[in-house]
Amino acid sequence: MRIRAEYSIGPELRFLSNLDTMHMMERALRRAKIPFALSEGFNPHIRLSMGTVLPVGLWGKKEYFDLELQQPMPPGELCEALNKVLPAGAHIVQAREIERNAPSLMKAVNCAAYGFILQMSQEEISRICQNILNAEKLLISSWGKKKGVDKDLRKGIYNIDIQPYEEFFCLMIWVGAGEPLNIRYDEIVDLLQQQGVPPQAILDVFREGNYIRIDEELYSPLER
Amino acid sequence: MQDRLFRDILPRVSKPIRYTGNELNVIKKNWESSRVKMVFAFPDVYEVGMSHIGGRILYGLINETTDHLLERSFAPWPDMEKLMREEGIPLYALESYRPLADFEVVGFSLQYELSATNILNMLDLAGIPVFSRERTDEDPLVLAGGPVAFNPEPFCDFFDMFMIGDGEEALPELLDEVERVRKLPRQEKLRQLAKVEGIYVPSLYKVAYDDDGSLASMEPLYPDVPRRVRKRIVANLDEAYYPDNPILPYMTVVHDRAVLEVMRGCQRGCRFCHAGMVYRPVREKSVETLQRQARAQLENTGYEEVSLASLSTLDYTGVDQLVKGLIEEHGSKGVGVALPSLRVDAFSIDLANEVQKVRKTTLTLAPEAGTQRLRDVINKNVTQEQLYDAVKAAFQSGWRAVKLYFMIGLPTETQEDLDGILQLLEEVKRIGNQYSRRSVEIRSSMACFVPKAHTPFQWQPQNSIEELQEKISYMTRFRRKGIKLSFHDSRVSFLEGIIARGDRRLGQVIYNAWKNGAIFDGWSEYFHFEHWQKALEESGLDPAFYVSRNRSYDELLPWDFIDSGVTKAYLRHENDKAQRGETTMDCRQEDCTGCGVCPSFEVEIDLRGGSERAHQS
Repeated sequence: MRIRAEYSIGPELRFLSNLDTMHMMERALRRAKIPFALSEGFNPHIRLSMGTVLPVGLWGKKEYFDLELQQPMPPGELCEALNKVLPAGAHIVQAREIERNAPSLMKAVNCAAYGFILQMSQEEISRICQNILNAEKLLISSWGKKKGVDKDLRKGIYNIDIQPYEEFFCLMIWVGAGEPLNIRYDEIVDLLQQQGVPPQAILDVFREGNYIRIDEELYSPLER
Repeated sequence: MQDRLFRDILPRVSKPIRYTGNELNVIKKNWESSRVKMVFAFPDVYEVGMSHIGGRILYGLINETTDHLLERSFAPWPDMEKLMREEGIPLYALESYRPLADFEVVGFSLQYELSATNILNMLDLAGIPVFSRERTDEDPLVLAGGPVAFNPEPFCDFFDMFMIGDGEEALPELLDEVERVRKLPRQEKLRQLAKVEGIYVPSLYKVAYDDDGSLASMEPLYPDVPRRVRKRIVANLDEAYYPDNPILPYMTVVHDRAVLEVMRGCQRGCRFCHAGMVYRPVREKSVETLQRQARAQLENTGYEEVSLASLSTLDYTGVDQLVKGLIEEHGSKGVGVALPSLRVDAFSIDLANEVQKVRKTTLTLAPEAGTQRLRDVINKNVTQEQLYDAVKAAFQSGWRAVKLYFMIGLPTETQEDLDGILQLLEEVKRIGNQYSRRSVEIRSSMACFVPKAHTPFQWQPQNSIEELQEKISYMTRFRRKGIKLSFHDSRVSFLEGIIARGDRRLGQVIYNAWKNGAIFDGWSEYFHFEHWQKALEESGLDPAFYVSRNRSYDELLPWDFIDSGVTKAYLRHENDKAQRGETTMDCRQEDCTGCGVCPSFEVEIDLRGGSERAHQS
């Protein structure tokens, strides 16, 4: 049985690396006595695959992992059992069974949304959003594999929106993730600074979610 | 404080998860209702400190079984330290985020001589005066324990007191006393605390030196201060506290697994080995206790591996039964068993084969010396045949790489012994080629011998940096395909040697080295010999006095007042036997060797594993 789970990583766990998060999940699976499947071979490990990497320093509302079970277990029970043993800050939101041959998260997820909580006026933020959406090219110096090479972010920016967030505003931005075009969150930070956002105005950054984008429509990895 | 760290500081440092705390199984006791507040300070980074079993034991013991409170603090990595100093953030404890100065006791773990500069740095970052004599009634009591505390003298300037021996015996009692004498002025308080067995308060002793620089006398200032400080011993390890709920770190720490302490102490009697002398006698846990502890730890952490720790795990009399039992109970859930140290014999390899679910990558063995003569001198009771049998068994069962540990600069060593190491490596390689289907790799690591206090070699001279460098360059001329040699930094060993057998006057060297910028001296990327060289010059002390000199049996040694239970007469006898190349057997197999610990402490060696088989080596 193959399960896909949606989980959140709270601000208190924002400094976990991807490997740390994976170990946290594996050990929670063991403590909760989930009937996970083990890989074959000399060094058996839990058949768990984590979705796209949540950058160190960010918290996340909708992150995902896939898990193979050796014996069936209702997804609701799995969520409940895990939530009992997970540390404060990590929470399984929901889970469902997926097809054995469904594409992996790494292959399926191609869009991510980041929220930037900004200490700026709504007018200033909407001007920046308009500038970004109206630009033909948005060149920044890449943070990825081709470090230092100019990279055009414009094609990878799908949408921008402004939402009220407590007493501030949140700039929500939907960008390409994985293939074909990956936009890193630190590249977005560079872009915002290029557009006139002072570094100290960024109060917080989180990943709102991971999506499967088909024909400009966004789907949750649990739907597809 | 926490908000500020999370917002402004931690996003700017490497591995910020080191500094956040809040791990699974963390214990946050109520500050107000806890009696004595103590912080356990480890003078290295989080991932090193969290791998230390002693700290895990004390953390659980104090927090779970007493009304006192014990929090944790580690040395920040230099990038974090820089930010903390710039932003005025004092060193804090991971549970309450309170500065270390808020605690009544700050206890450091002394695992390594060169962690001294990190201790000074942590005290300074905490805003606590680094010198004991400058602390007032408002400052915490600064304590040190751990193996290096068996020669506390070089650290006297910085600590108000030391705790000698098994901490789980002394610490609860010490904290009760701290509470009882809380209202007294500082020096009066320390005088009371010195009455707790195992506690040494250096400021209560007067020390004088002879013209030749050696110790002339060490006298207590008051009649109620003990002349000798006796180490503490857990007599029954099987019934002693051990944590079932250890903290589960988020980041990958050095030893990231459940750990069982199968026994404490080792009686093989290797003459260079400090731990083997000061942790006597051997005390084992029963297989049932260990199985229960494994079950509890695995359930409470979810770890995928359990490690069997001790000074010589293959000598544990229940090792066979325990390993098989653990594999049977937990193996199907993908939980592995790890044997951190292997004995040089075929039985060890058989057992290792059983637990090695991982690909057989590297097997590690420690013959320590290259000839039988020298192995007899150091009493490493391993024969050439045992070593070759072990290696043959390993290659036959699929291991492809062997790592061998040796020491250079051992007493009586000649060029023949160095050649012996090289010949031994060639022979191991030849056996590998014969018995392994694929090409094998031999790696050998050469440490520089450092004579330690409380061992039979405490009177022996240590090789100088020049002598060691000569030996290293002689050996590096040897080049064979598939054999790799690596050497410890002889300058690091030289400094370890000065402190290992040092006296009180070294306080100024440590202080000056730190002032000159020394920090994280155990990490090669931060080790700067010139900071220490300058400090030694500034002190006017002659390093050769500490390391290169042949000490006479009549000399009063700075650590003689620490009673480890092993008598000086025994150490002397062992040193004499070493010169004659005579070996001494393990007292579990033959008669009592007369080291003195059992009668002196009214304890006995305590073997509970049940099997006789593991006795034989």
